Amino acid sequence: MRRIVSQILEGLGYEVRDAGHGREALDVLEEGWVPDLATIDWNMPVMDGLQFVSAVRSNPAWRSMTMMMVTSESEHTQIVRALAAGAHEYVIKPFTADAIRDKLALLGLLPEEALL
Amino acid sequence: MTTFDTGERRRAGDSRPVISELIDEPTVQAIAEDAWIALVGEDEILVPLPGELPADPVSSWVDVVGPWTGSVVLSTGSQTAAELTRALLGDYAPELLEHEDVADAFGEIANVVGGNVKAALPGPSALSLPEVGNPPALRNPADVVRIDVLWRGQPVSISVQGALPPLPVAHS
Amino acid sequence: MTLATTSFDWVRQLVHKESAIVLQPGKEYLVEARLLPIARSMGLPDVGKLVDAVRGRPDPDSTRRIVEALTTNETSWFRDGDPFTALTSTVLPALVAARGPNEPLKIWSAACSSGQEPYTIAMLLEDALPNAATRVSITATDLSREMVERTRAGRFSQLEVNRGLPAPMLVRHFTRAGNEWEVAPALKRMVTASECNLAAPALPRMGPFDVVYLRNVLIYFDLSTKQAILRRVREVMRPDGWLFLGAAETTLGVDDSWERVVIGRSSAYRPLKGA
Repeated sequence: MRRIVSQILEGLGYEVRDAGHGREALDVLEEGWVPDLATIDWNMPVMDGLQFVSAVRSNPAWRSMTMMMVTSESEHTQIVRALAAGAHEYVIKPFTADAIRDKLALLGLLPEEALL
Repeated sequence: MTTFDTGERRRAGDSRPVISELIDEPTVQAIAEDAWIALVGEDEILVPLPGELPADPVSSWVDVVGPWTGSVVLSTGSQTAAELTRALLGDYAPELLEHEDVADAFGEIANVVGGNVKAALPGPSALSLPEVGNPPALRNPADVVRIDVLWRGQPVSISVQGALPPLPVAHS
Repeated sequence: MTLATTSFDWVRQLVHKESAIVLQPGKEYLVEARLLPIARSMGLPDVGKLVDAVRGRPDPDSTRRIVEALTTNETSWFRDGDPFTALTSTVLPALVAARGPNEPLKIWSAACSSGQEPYTIAMLLEDALPNAATRVSITATDLSREMVERTRAGRFSQLEVNRGLPAPMLVRHFTRAGNEWEVAPALKRMVTASECNLAAPALPRMGPFDVVYLRNVLIYFDLSTKQAILRRVREVMRPDGWLFLGAAETTLGVDDSWERVVIGRSSAYRPLKGA
């Protein structure tokens, strides 16, 4: 359901690229395209969201990237684990477009147009 | 709360709960409604009325492994699954839906419903990736919580069902 | 019975005027479902009759209930951000300096709705003050009994906790309850919820409050009622207290006995000395 989140982010003024799992996403980062924001599901094939978050955290070159989990995994302990691993924010599915917008506003990550 | 007489006697230290001890139909209904509001549309209603699933239903499910182990299975007619997919994708829905589109969308609904069912259970539990196809068979009729609803008049069922067969009954 | 187009249009205009939220055509079903309980509570058989009644004799209470019923999923935590970050950045340090070390701090959330506002305040203070649990009391009031009960229960759905609540605060201050999230007992103890009609001739005995949040409720009243409410609110505030209004609201042109203080991108209002 990357399309849904991509659509929301584009609507807010972001330039968006997507990847099917953590390993693919790391490939994009390693190419040198380091975005301001990554929205990350938990359960993915090959490399899951938690592993991806840990991998990003361990690379100082990618410190500037804000990581926001967007996932149906919503046990209290899991949210704690994700935040401890380095995720900055956590959106629980089901979510609405406004929920993403609210979280980004809190993080100061809304592209200026969206503030109008 | 309903009880099932399966002939099982619960022994002290027996830690195999049945799902009806852990979650009830109204909670599953509320979970499904929230999922539909967010994924399908704000004014979508799920009417809790049984309807007969067509002969060849489509199912998507996720597996939950933890203190309780089983699957959360969504089933509906193939037309309904296609309609759900269009509603989810909105403006991004292609003219012609591929099987992959339906599997993706219907699987995502199972992911969202399943993830929230899992979070209402005692944890920690693991959630599998969603699958679409022939769902796991009902192993234990006493270990099921199921809701049947109508979405836009079309039947959808959500079954939270245990993976383990019933314990053998002790005969004297 | 489906809602007549003219009735739906009236509701759409009302909601847009009061909340800036746009109800798209096709949402008639939503309007029906959400407003029917209000109609019934007023002894009216359907939403069409409710619309006729409120159109014929507009009153702030019904107007507010209608708008809230249609925007309830929009209620967020830390609404507009700055009025809440202002609490920890500016207001709390000022209060702590001005008051004795164990002097109670009293806060009023004067249109608490389903509870997001009072519990936002509770979370902030719990995190900022070591003795918040004993020192802080938050009075949460609302016109609606249903909202007061929701605030007391402190339980929120998955969709609701996603709205503007930072994840670290969610895990710190909430536990899972079935498929919902419930605020921690420590926060509930800080908040006392009760019914209160701001437009009544007199307020119940309350306060004196150090901080008042009166957000997005004055918009429903005419000028003279706004003035009366602000006067009554001032009477239950400490002379050096702080008042927060909604993002688009101001005392300017309404009541000149307040001093406006800019904090970040929002404003607070403080009673003018000698006014």
